[in-house]
Amino acid sequence: MEPQLKRRKEYECDIDSWVAYPVLSNEQSQDIELIEAFAAPIINKKETSRLIKELAKVYPLPGLQHIKRVRSCKDKGSPHPLEVIVCLASDAPVIDRSEELHISDLSSSGRLNCEGLGDPFLVKIPACPPLTRPQFEQASKHWPTSFHEDKQVTVALRGQLFTSSQKSKMQEYMMAAVAAARAGQESGMEAVGAAVVDPEAERILAVGHDCRQGGHPLHHAIMVCIDLVARGQGGGAYTYDKYPACQSVLPYSLPSQKQGATTTTCGVVQDGDSAEESGEPYICTGYDLYVTREPCVMCAMALVHSRIGRVFYGTSSTDGAFGTKYKIHAQKDLNHRFEVFKGVLDQQCSDLNRPVHYIKINS
Amino acid sequence: MGGMMSFLERTFSHVPKTYRCGWLMPLTWLVWHRAAFPKAKEALENGEVPVGCLMVYNNEILGKGRNEVNETKNATRHAEMVALDQVLEWCCHRGLDPRTVCERTVLYVTVEPCIMCAGALRLTNIPLVVYGCNNDRFGGCGSVLDIPSADLPHTGSSFKCISGFRAEEAVEMLKTFYKQENPNAPKPKTRKE
Repeated sequence: MEPQLKRRKEYECDIDSWVAYPVLSNEQSQDIELIEAFAAPIINKKETSRLIKELAKVYPLPGLQHIKRVRSCKDKGSPHPLEVIVCLASDAPVIDRSEELHISDLSSSGRLNCEGLGDPFLVKIPACPPLTRPQFEQASKHWPTSFHEDKQVTVALRGQLFTSSQKSKMQEYMMAAVAAARAGQESGMEAVGAAVVDPEAERILAVGHDCRQGGHPLHHAIMVCIDLVARGQGGGAYTYDKYPACQSVLPYSLPSQKQGATTTTCGVVQDGDSAEESGEPYICTGYDLYVTREPCVMCAMALVHSRIGRVFYGTSSTDGAFGTKYKIHAQKDLNHRFEVFKGVLDQQCSDLNRPVHYIKINS
Repeated sequence: MGGMMSFLERTFSHVPKTYRCGWLMPLTWLVWHRAAFPKAKEALENGEVPVGCLMVYNNEILGKGRNEVNETKNATRHAEMVALDQVLEWCCHRGLDPRTVCERTVLYVTVEPCIMCAGALRLTNIPLVVYGCNNDRFGGCGSVLDIPSADLPHTGSSFKCISGFRAEEAVEMLKTFYKQENPNAPKPKTRKE
């Protein structure tokens, strides 16, 4: 008993050994787009408010409400502490760029009184409002920009969204997926595992692993789990009795902790109380999915169809559809969107791809 | 005869030459594709999204599917997935390699396959899909994403699509379905038009 316990300790890991990061939409994660504009120093500070008013009329900046029209120059020694955006380069009259530009060239046939402005120069300004703090920081390097911060996204990007107790639950669920992946691997499958969890009840509803070698090329771990959840709700299209590590509702404890007890239970264990009384949920609404590696496009879309609540995965995969090749969870035009996090137990999950690694520990 | 030929020319002008082999192939498609509609109708009669399909190998129907989502409480039970299961079972019974069979199997379906099904068709190496109308909500063959020709080296093989067959009829069936309320679906989010 003793040595076994010890081994398990070695294998279990600290919740500080991994960080869950959000997989954001392209709009949130891409580099900010820049456009060219003419700026000019304000050489007479007293003209500032008049200039701002006139510029707003002569050269309005539609769609660029996030841009602050005036910036103060950081360099204290500068003779002109304020600079202003005169107009977008695309709104300026056609100018011979080889010649030096004068502010009078931008007066828009006298509509703008250029008094108090120095000669213009080209700057690059952010074309869209920043959505995340990294984008804001990047944008601010070019020109001062307003930013309506989504605090949750900022905290999530720092990897600090989840509390220790949430993390230890997440780890427990991912461990169930890892254990299923290993069990699958032992029966000749690819080492991928998944678990569907009811986060409110803090309960695992289904655990499954890749079953492709069993004669069906589409029985990926997630597809197995989705059908097991359906089965738990009185539906389902397949039986996975051949694979004891694929089951819906684990009555006692996780396979990783009590392998003997749970792997002997075959097929579906119907759970009488909770779900039925409160009315069956629609497929996977409100449930979380844990999977050892980033899903393929088929599985990702299957989760959209199943109205999954959130998805957590361990490591990225080459054709992955939650961040690598696509961001199906944030795809425009689709009617169900949800949060995806990656990095949960990333080390254990990526170790699954290294064969024989775990055999040493378990045997 | 001349009138018939010009009709065919108009109908199949978008079809890649490699698939034409004269006019025989398109006519075959037309016939098989038409045969997928009774399955869609069956889905409608059973309160399912009316999509029906056929999987044909060597002029033999190996799979006939329709949407079974509500029946199975499994949102992945689309017509294509149901029919693919039958093809795989057929292979299993005859001891044939599924890949070899699938590589010569054509899918005829009333509506553009969704992103998930397009992924499944890649993974099973189906080379050709003949479908009716577009699927603006979930379509994986161009409407929302283009999975058949995407660069996904680890997700099976790319495939060709031919569309527009009896599109109005397929759309009408979908409209009929969405006019009825789906009692199992959550409240739909109103889409901005």
